[in-house]
Amino acid sequence: MNKFIKWGLILLACGVVLGVSAYTIIMFTPHRDVQATPTDFKISAKTLVHETLDDAIASNAKYLEEDGNSKIIEVTGTVAAVNEDMNKQKTILLKEEGEGAGVNCTFTLNTNAKVEEVHVGDKVTIKGLFKSGAEFDEDMEEYLDVNLSKCDIIK
Amino acid sequence: MKKFIYTIGLAVFSVILMALAPQESTKLITKTGHINFFSHTEVEDISADNYQVSSTLEKTTGAIVVVAPMQSFEFEKAMMQKHYNSPKFLDTKQFPKAKFKGTISNLADIKFDNNGTYPAKVEGTLTMHGVSKEIMNEGSITVKDGKVTVNTKMNIVLADFNVVFESGKPSTSIAKTVEATINITY
Repeated sequence: MNKFIKWGLILLACGVVLGVSAYTIIMFTPHRDVQATPTDFKISAKTLVHETLDDAIASNAKYLEEDGNSKIIEVTGTVAAVNEDMNKQKTILLKEEGEGAGVNCTFTLNTNAKVEEVHVGDKVTIKGLFKSGAEFDEDMEEYLDVNLSKCDIIK
Repeated sequence: MKKFIYTIGLAVFSVILMALAPQESTKLITKTGHINFFSHTEVEDISADNYQVSSTLEKTTGAIVVVAPMQSFEFEKAMMQKHYNSPKFLDTKQFPKAKFKGTISNLADIKFDNNGTYPAKVEGTLTMHGVSKEIMNEGSITVKDGKVTVNTKMNIVLADFNVVFESGKPSTSIAKTVEATINITY
């Protein structure tokens, strides 16, 4: 009987340890490090804008993932604007002359510093996580840009 | 006769000058608005932020449009973000954007040319997760040195947008009604 209780307690302790470990791993797994993850697509800003404008369903299927860990893109284009969002994260708009929409790249507090070296008119390559495609919104009567986040300048 | 021609010429010149003068647009635009989602239950609090919100506000008609890319909501925990994006929750791959299209119903009370904070009432349609629902909400519009900021909070009943959890951890850790705080500076 004592042996039975002893083994029962050991099994119970193992179960608790495994359960707590599994819960901790699942709940506290960090976000994917976008800059350390291999790039899925290399593309020009102009091509990416037109691809998403021309066929939203196909481009969403190509660039978005169900769990939100969507495609990582290296996009090359001309800097049309440098700004800052309400979270003090720098943003760079890549947009070619004559185009309605561009690619809005949101940096992080860790990658903000590199934006200081960038000026309007520069040609740069930015790596980031695809969030949404471009579209012409008829209610706004405005083009909405492609959105990338967790960006950094790589060239 | 010379005086008449001079007067006509001056009038025509003035009209041309007025036409060429830059006209201040009455439509305000931003692509860096902020929306926060907050869910409170006894199990845990969940918060997510989106800083890639686009919006226009037409000062003459009060027409307001807000578009939020759904995958731009960032959660503290990666697992929560995965749940939120998944087909069982907001299915952001199939429904990548949420949109509010409405009108400020008390536009006459808002003085866009004078600094101040004005109570604002908004009515319109919120489309999310493929479902559109009429909503009315109150908030404020602050005008400061030409900058216009819209602030509002609204409660969103997830079941109204076909987001329902019958069982499992989400049914206890995610509130049935979440609070959305909207802060947009044009």
